[in-house]
Amino acid sequence: MSINKHAYQAIEAVVGRNYITDDPADCEGYRSGPGGYESGTGYERVMTKIAGAVVMPRTTEDVQKIVKICGRFGVPFVPYSTGFYGPRSHPHMEHELIIDMKRMRDFEIDEKHFFITVQPGVIYSQIQQECFEKGAYVVIGGGGAQTSAVANLLNDGWSPLSFRVGLPQRRILGMEVVMPDGEIVKMGSLADGDDPFWGEGIGPDLRGIMRGYTGLLGCLGICTRMAIKTLPFQPEIPKPSGISPETALQLDPKRVRWINFTMPSLESIEQAHIMIGNAEIGGAVTKVPVFWRAIAKAECKEDFWDLWLKETEESVSNFFLVRVLLIGYTSEEQMDYDYHVLCDIIEELGGKERRTKPSDESWFKNADSAGMWLMTGSYVSVDYVMDTFTQAFKQGPNYRDLKAKYTPPLMPDCKDLGWFQSCEMGHLGYYEYLIYWDQREDTNGMDQFYVESAKMNIENGCYPALLGAHQPLYLTGPAYGPGYHEWILGLKEVFDPQWICHPPLPLAHDEFVERAEWMHEVKNWETPEEFPYPEKLKENMRLEK
Amino acid sequence: MDILKDLAAIVGTEFATQDPSVLSDYVSDLSFTEGSRPEAVVFPGKTEEVSSIVRWANEKNIPLIPVSSPIHLYGTTVPKQGGVIVNMKRFDEIYEIDKVNRLVRFGVGVSWEKLTAALKAEGMRVIMPLAPREERAVATDHLEREVTTSMVYDYGEPTQSMEVVFPNGDVFRTGSASAPKYPYSPARGANPAGPGLDFYRLLQCAQGTMGIVTWMSLKIQSIPLIDKIKFAPLDDLGEGISYLYRILPRRIGQECLILNRVDLAALLAEDTAEFEKMRGRLPEYTLILTISGLIRRPEEKIAYEEHFLEDVMKNEFPQIVLTDYLPGFPGADKKLMNILRTAWPKERPYWKSVPKGAYQDLFFITRPERVPEFIERMKHVAGEISYPFDEIGIYEQPIEHNRACQLQFTFYYDPDCEESADTVKSVWKKAFESMHDAGGYFTRPYGETAERLYDRAASYTAALKKVKALFDPNNVMNPGNLCF
Repeated sequence: MSINKHAYQAIEAVVGRNYITDDPADCEGYRSGPGGYESGTGYERVMTKIAGAVVMPRTTEDVQKIVKICGRFGVPFVPYSTGFYGPRSHPHMEHELIIDMKRMRDFEIDEKHFFITVQPGVIYSQIQQECFEKGAYVVIGGGGAQTSAVANLLNDGWSPLSFRVGLPQRRILGMEVVMPDGEIVKMGSLADGDDPFWGEGIGPDLRGIMRGYTGLLGCLGICTRMAIKTLPFQPEIPKPSGISPETALQLDPKRVRWINFTMPSLESIEQAHIMIGNAEIGGAVTKVPVFWRAIAKAECKEDFWDLWLKETEESVSNFFLVRVLLIGYTSEEQMDYDYHVLCDIIEELGGKERRTKPSDESWFKNADSAGMWLMTGSYVSVDYVMDTFTQAFKQGPNYRDLKAKYTPPLMPDCKDLGWFQSCEMGHLGYYEYLIYWDQREDTNGMDQFYVESAKMNIENGCYPALLGAHQPLYLTGPAYGPGYHEWILGLKEVFDPQWICHPPLPLAHDEFVERAEWMHEVKNWETPEEFPYPEKLKENMRLEK
Repeated sequence: MDILKDLAAIVGTEFATQDPSVLSDYVSDLSFTEGSRPEAVVFPGKTEEVSSIVRWANEKNIPLIPVSSPIHLYGTTVPKQGGVIVNMKRFDEIYEIDKVNRLVRFGVGVSWEKLTAALKAEGMRVIMPLAPREERAVATDHLEREVTTSMVYDYGEPTQSMEVVFPNGDVFRTGSASAPKYPYSPARGANPAGPGLDFYRLLQCAQGTMGIVTWMSLKIQSIPLIDKIKFAPLDDLGEGISYLYRILPRRIGQECLILNRVDLAALLAEDTAEFEKMRGRLPEYTLILTISGLIRRPEEKIAYEEHFLEDVMKNEFPQIVLTDYLPGFPGADKKLMNILRTAWPKERPYWKSVPKGAYQDLFFITRPERVPEFIERMKHVAGEISYPFDEIGIYEQPIEHNRACQLQFTFYYDPDCEESADTVKSVWKKAFESMHDAGGYFTRPYGETAERLYDRAASYTAALKKVKALFDPNNVMNPGNLCF
């Protein structure tokens, strides 16, 4: 295995022998799975490889030198921070180099101007605690507080805390990127100095090529520094409680409160989201899948199934709960105001307040990561998109009906409609649909469902999160924009003509469909006779076959 | 080559012209930018026509200069290399006001006057920059990333989706409006991001170099039921800025800004004589803050904000005196509240024309705490060329809870006096260089600032040029601007 030996030696000279390895045991440790987001898919089996080597740079200059060496020797590489993004953040080629960013773990907080500058090895948990102590908070994505803040913001970055500022890319300020050709591009105010406090410009904003609604999964360079907006919070620092894994943050109910409301119908939940947003109160509004309640209550897999199997389609379809977070950003009096407005809205809609624990188990610090694999061992969100509530509440039945055709192998969830929440004060309605399966079973249906969901969204005129490298580019590309794929491929050619940065993304899912026989029956879209790879990549792929 | 014939074949003879009197309208704007006369002006009425014009321009290698607004301030639409003006004024339709999802979608030719009136009739509003002209196109301001006076929303900018004709002639929708079947799709175009890339970011501040936008959508808000405007005279600007660091992160207020006596007098005065009188009587700086009772329990919302402000003033900032009126200027409160929420009426001379007839702005983004330092620097620059500092307008616009701010200097001059204009040109240039050297961040490079800004940001510039070459390989879209 390993990588080109001359490249290895050159990189070793940059970082020192302690920070590069091609030891098979070390490389095996970076294998995709067996647990984790999107693990246990056909995509993982077909597309991922064991790394040829792993290097851990410390500085931007290290990264730049490594990338240039890779370019010189034609060594494919993939940037890697915490590896949460499952198979898609792992090598897809033999003899590929993982550039593990964990040693780049510096951060600096500017409490007065509400931002924090981080390197890619910094995880959310660290910076959230610092933020709390400075009267601020960051939005921790659903990936969890253990994920790299940089990686999360370049690719996803949502949670119910997106209520005040929905789009993760709005939280990215100045950033520094080592492009696939080894050039360092500084964006925002970093382009014109060393202060990253501002994200836009100069002129057209190049942050636009670093991600779309979702990200490019590391195939267009490596971010080595990023300033992230924090949000003004309130002065009472949440206190950790419990023993791992049953931990929570205790909240001062005068300043921070989750409140659950039972509602009479799904329509009333939709209305609650819209009306709360229009009233401009609160810190989060969400309606989560019913089975999450069972996850929250369960201490182990068996517990979960004991609880979940008591549910029926009827009990799930009649369970209407909306969860609202109030934050006393200004004062206790503001908190009271928000509460009264909230109660007015709920009363108008026929809802009823329930007793709610004065703690946060999921969103401020822990997010949802650990429990998500509890039930079956494998999970992925096939959609997590913001448009409006008009779209959000139409997507639920679409996914439910499509999923019925693929259950099993997908976990039966009593036709739950998925997860809804409000973003940007109700201007954006968020929808997420999660699927679960046991990877020891025949999972071909899961792979097919994933792609069929993209086809369903095209057919229905819905905007999904999973565009770009997350689905076959030649399936979604002609439908959205239309023709957005041509621009992604164009940029790839411009900045990475050798396609050495995480190949064959952004065409990896197209490649998967070609290579996996069970995907051929669902493929009904056109692709070019040959994908537009450079000759060297084509040759390497031929050799791998 | 018969340009007029070609264009007329696309849009019809009545919508293409080479009339010298029309062409001369585009030779200059309200900036000092010098350019050339366009060869023709075309007025497309449909996206397909725009697309055909762009394809034609590529074929003939003729520059296109997109123009959405009848008023331009920064020289972006003054032809640098001749070419054809693509005037988008026929795209003046408001396509939808969606109150449930709180968005409005409209053509790029829609004016502030038209949009605000239509929204008001529905009980809605859009957050806006300070006193935009009624006749100016809304899309122009949002494409130019004009900073709004509202600083309470974490999401900052209200821009959502757009339709654009790319420089190769392809018609493209950004954000969630890119969904198939749009606008007859469940996707309503509320999400600006994607598909695949954040195209909208490449279009903003592009000055028409990355394509021609035909429509856009914006977030809208309900009109508050109660508004209060408050004033604090500031003898010590630094103290006022410290106060904003204290109150704005607590999500107080809707609009907030600080004006010096020159700009505040210009905003409030009816004419030059009144301007001079007011300028002499106003405090050096005035902090202006609005608080609003929204659609539910408006009195209670006003009450908690006022109680918070009182507590902070009493316990931490006893020097700050916040009143519901502008002392010595009866009626100014109502007048200013109206100015903050409406576009500037075209029947009245624009407020920046009141002092001397013409003006030049210099603005950049910085940290609020650095504002006094930049003002001192401006004093020094003005002193160096004997420009009266006390005639310079100063406007600080806090952004997103005072996380940052835009600092704007306005140099007023008599357009009929060559010497006056030359002096302003000179002080403006020196001030720009001085502020830039001191770390002022100019996100919007106009005219001659662009060269200096892009030279210093070498890596960014190189990457930007690569992107531009991908989208516009023939460089037909508004060449001579930015670094293209």
